[in-house]
Amino acid sequence: MADMIRRPDPMQSSPRSSPRDRGSRSPAYPRQDSSGTLKTTISLAPGKTPAVIHTGSFYLVKDIPDEAEITGSTNLLNYYNLEHSYNRFLNKKVKEELSAFLPHLPGNIDSPGIQDNSSLRSLIEKTPITGKELTQLSGSALSGFRLHPGPLPEQYQLMNQMTQKKKRHKKKIKDSEKGSTLQLSQTDSATGEPETKKTKRPKKEDDQKDSKKKRKKDKKKKKKHSPEPTAANGTDVTT
Amino acid sequence: MADKTEKFDTLEQKLELFIENTRQMGIIVSDFQPQGQNVLNQKIQTMVTEMNEIDKLRTQVPDVHVPLEVFDYIDQGRNPNLYTKDCLEKALAKNEQVKGKTDSLKRFKAMLLLELSKVFPSEMEMYRALKQGRGPT
Repeated sequence: MADMIRRPDPMQSSPRSSPRDRGSRSPAYPRQDSSGTLKTTISLAPGKTPAVIHTGSFYLVKDIPDEAEITGSTNLLNYYNLEHSYNRFLNKKVKEELSAFLPHLPGNIDSPGIQDNSSLRSLIEKTPITGKELTQLSGSALSGFRLHPGPLPEQYQLMNQMTQKKKRHKKKIKDSEKGSTLQLSQTDSATGEPETKKTKRPKKEDDQKDSKKKRKKDKKKKKKHSPEPTAANGTDVTT
Repeated sequence: MADKTEKFDTLEQKLELFIENTRQMGIIVSDFQPQGQNVLNQKIQTMVTEMNEIDKLRTQVPDVHVPLEVFDYIDQGRNPNLYTKDCLEKALAKNEQVKGKTDSLKRFKAMLLLELSKVFPSEMEMYRALKQGRGPT
């Protein structure tokens, strides 16, 4: 089997002996010098001191290419005046949801497009028919859009699903104590709205109670001689 | 530049009108009443008209190139500004990486020249003379 395999001449196949593959570039291979510069080869044989053989030229003597205006070492953000964009996108927190980018768009747009077959990729992969003129529908064509009265099943009522806006919620947090905002936001993300309401209610209730107490006192002073003061007080508390 | 923004503005307005009309159609259809048939027919005709208008605007924005990766962001329900952010982050990281490489190579060159000068002092003298354009001494 070994005889069946063609083996080329080792002298020819050796990369060292091949002038096209390696020798043309190696200074070890003798060649004609077109540059007219120094022809030297440094021999670094093991066990011997390095010797210089004047047969080829130095690689380093080659002309250095002109330095480009822009290289990878230049600050490209500065060069293209993109610092503003950098600060805009990286220093400020960009909201993850698509609805934050298109706040006025109706419907729930934050869900993946594959779910309801509304992905933009599908537009590229399955290009719709274009180039045909769009004409107004005739009366008979419109009869095809005659609908039965009544509501649609819930799964088809996509237009009613609006994205939840959290702006109001955040404003409420700002009103409360500055020191507790971080804690509040953490609890919000974990539990939702009820937590924040709990924290705010006591303050409002206290204020209301104080004002009511003042009113009570004023009314008591006024109605000292009235026949049924308790009943009047009772109605005040409830209102 | 102003022209371009105007074109985009008109396209945006037309798209918004189209979306609004479609939304209204959705509301009509979601709980359809018999008296709403005429309104629905009108909305359908408006839809066709608006589609035509949007199609006409196509010629005004022929040289707009959108990276395909942005579509992936939108399809996943993510803010396309995140794509810009990611691009900037990647560009900055790559920029720093390449700068590191070039700086390392510069340092390597300086060290190599220094060491070569120690081992091959006369040859390096010749080399330096060549580099300075004086020719071999």
